[in-house]
Amino acid sequence: MTNSLRCPTRAEVVARVQAAGRRVAAVLPYHYPRALLRAHGFHPVEVWGPPGVPRDEGGRHFQAYTCDIVVRATSFLLRGGLDGVDAILVPHTCDALQGMGSVLGDFVRPTPPVLTLYLPRSRRPVDHEFLVAELRRLGEALAAISGRVPAPADWEAAFAAEDAADRALADLYARREGLAVTDREFYTVVRSREFLPAEDFVALAGSLAAGDPPGGVPVMLSGIVAEPLDLFDHLSAMGARVVADDLASGRRRVYPLQDGGDPHTRLATRLLGGPPDPTRGDPIAARARHLREQMGAAGARGLVIYDPKFCEPELFDVPLLRRHLSAAGLPVLHVEVELTGSLTQQTLTRLEAFVETLR
Amino acid sequence: MTGAAAIGVDAGSTTCKVVAVDETGALLASRLEATHPRLEEQAAGLITALVGDLGPVEPPPVVATGYGRQLVRGAARRVTEITCHARGVFGALGHGGTLVDIGGQDAKAIRIGEEGRPIDFAMNDKCAAGTGRFLEHTAGRLGVAVADLGPRALGATAEEPISSTCTVFAESEIISLIGRGADLDAIIRGLHRSLVGRIVAMARTVGLGPPLILSGGVALNPGVRAMMEEATGMAVILPPHPQLTGAYGAALIALEG
Repeated sequence: MTNSLRCPTRAEVVARVQAAGRRVAAVLPYHYPRALLRAHGFHPVEVWGPPGVPRDEGGRHFQAYTCDIVVRATSFLLRGGLDGVDAILVPHTCDALQGMGSVLGDFVRPTPPVLTLYLPRSRRPVDHEFLVAELRRLGEALAAISGRVPAPADWEAAFAAEDAADRALADLYARREGLAVTDREFYTVVRSREFLPAEDFVALAGSLAAGDPPGGVPVMLSGIVAEPLDLFDHLSAMGARVVADDLASGRRRVYPLQDGGDPHTRLATRLLGGPPDPTRGDPIAARARHLREQMGAAGARGLVIYDPKFCEPELFDVPLLRRHLSAAGLPVLHVEVELTGSLTQQTLTRLEAFVETLR
Repeated sequence: MTGAAAIGVDAGSTTCKVVAVDETGALLASRLEATHPRLEEQAAGLITALVGDLGPVEPPPVVATGYGRQLVRGAARRVTEITCHARGVFGALGHGGTLVDIGGQDAKAIRIGEEGRPIDFAMNDKCAAGTGRFLEHTAGRLGVAVADLGPRALGATAEEPISSTCTVFAESEIISLIGRGADLDAIIRGLHRSLVGRIVAMARTVGLGPPLILSGGVALNPGVRAMMEEATGMAVILPPHPQLTGAYGAALIALEG
């Protein structure tokens, strides 16, 4: 490692936060209002599977073609992995996650209360209005658990902390070419935003040393989540370097920030202001344009769309995205993986062959 | 036999192939064996045997490909089978096109550019459907030799539709068809149609266009060739040694240094 990164685990963070007297909310992917949770006294810790947890127990509640994030997260919960959290938040990111919210609430009925957040599928004024109402409803549900209705000072403190962390994330991407870090290190820090307290994230992101990043064939990564992190070691060994991303667990959550006003309205504006995204029903042309611009700015020679199997929002877009980008002379590779904690030989061969074509 | 300038090894999932080429890229010698569980020793043994076939020469540079490429000792480089197949086809035929390679446990469609480089490609997933294993498995179930499958498919006067391309589900369908007295050759013809349908669909994802080239062990099956021509409306071209294409491409890459 070019930096001596020390990033705690999710379990360590949960223990530390709870020892400090704060509540923990387990949050499923991937758009949700961090400042709202914080203002109500909750620290969000995201659950992306986790990879490697067997599908068996969760699989009893879903069709065989339900994605790994939903099934493995349900297995994780049934195995006691979420014991001790104070709430489970399931945003309506896709039909599978909406189904998970219903299954947990109606059938599994875990001890922590299950909260939902219905995210609109577009960005019209009426969607904004709907989301404001949803955020108020979520806030009321959180207040019912914590007994804490945020005062203006609580909102102010929450926005100050979370805005600083969002700025640090945006800054991390902006400084990317001037950081002496491997892809693995970069994404270790990016993904620590999923569970570190905002202040710790700002400190970690700021600790990365300036310098030249390692070389390699520049590629852009799109999709949901780059699991396992070994992916970056493999890409590096293949002679590639990730210079930009459009990952749900990454760049798609660099939101524009707003100052002042009603907190729910402010949060709704923020959540609906991110880059084009398949879970928001954005037109393919908008997504293709965004990807072309990102690739052009970063000098990426090809795009790897890296998805968990059966990820419907992603799969709907892939054929047309591929067509748009190929027409613009940008090679695209789509790989689907199971979140088992390791990569299959077929996946590695696809990636390596793609890198070979880009040389 | 002398003049070997490079060796290519294709450590595939079903067969392990080694070839030697001279400095012009002409194929001098080759060996092919069913893949052993101890692939590392097998590849080393095959290289030694091939070098022995070539006479008293300095062992030439080796490039390895195939799923077991990391296990080939002494390889100067390891290159994916996608790139090696593209290079092998281009070296053998002198042009690009759409290559469909149907191996023992994987199938791939590769669009090859004018310089012999892969432009786009698609591969099957972990599932064995659409691969040689699909035919091999069902041939075993039907009690028919693999080499007889193609001729019997072409000679069938009827065709039983096999709706599933999953090897396991197809076997269930075959059992049902046998149970109701369906003609064996009609079943075999249906199996070929099922495999070809899947392969052609995969090839279309990379922009299926002429010339259409077929390689891999399944390229030796005349039933698959004929049905691919029927499904695509294109003539199927075979390289001189369809099963050795990957290893030949690896040898050419070794030759280039």
